[in-house]
Amino acid sequence: MTASHSQDRIELTREIIPNAAIACEVRADEDGAVATFDGCVRNHSHGRSTLYLEYEAYESMALAKMREIAEHVHRSLAINRVAIIHRLGRLEIGETSVFIAVSAAHRAAAFDACRYAIDALKKTVPIWKKEFFADGAVWADGEVPPSPAAAETPAAKPASN
Amino acid sequence: MFVKVLYFGRLKEIAGSAEESVEVRDGERIEELFARCSSSRPELRKFRSSLVAARNREFAAWDTALSGGDEVGFLPPVSGG
Repeated sequence: MTASHSQDRIELTREIIPNAAIACEVRADEDGAVATFDGCVRNHSHGRSTLYLEYEAYESMALAKMREIAEHVHRSLAINRVAIIHRLGRLEIGETSVFIAVSAAHRAAAFDACRYAIDALKKTVPIWKKEFFADGAVWADGEVPPSPAAAETPAAKPASN
Repeated sequence: MFVKVLYFGRLKEIAGSAEESVEVRDGERIEELFARCSSSRPELRKFRSSLVAARNREFAAWDTALSGGDEVGFLPPVSGG
């Protein structure tokens, strides 16, 4: 809708995510707020001690879905820039797996966009997490993305509602 | 005609590969493709009810008809974040 879209940063990476740099990067002079979400690797899951995690993605589709999320918040909220970065590969305890930053003139839109983005990411972006414990590994229970109704309307039907 | 089939997460481990080229008949639906792919791997079938399908990087209904060259992903419940 505006030039701000081109300033969005939507990425998958196998490197450590530079959280602080990204939070600075989304901020422009017209902004009064930056809301961030730092999703990090917890040392326990369902009562077991986690050693580390591995993430994999359907990379081309994941990036497309992450861009859709950014476009949705641009359309629905008065925000300026959006960054959504998800890490793949092996992650150690305490490391950031996903970092989201949203800038806006006012805080409410920044908070709302940040919350929407992480919730939508967890439901619709094809990324999978495997949890490694001392005694084995499991694929995390995930969320089933909303499925399109049985119909053949290739372009018109949005993936979620 | 051929389509490219992609497996992810636990499905990839069960299928024993991340990607394969599968010959389908013209107009074959995703549901039939899954049945074809799982016929030699009965373990895959157990996960059918929890899967969603994607065609050319977009979520797709199971009755979607395929065209040659399509990329079909079978996606277990997602767990990013």
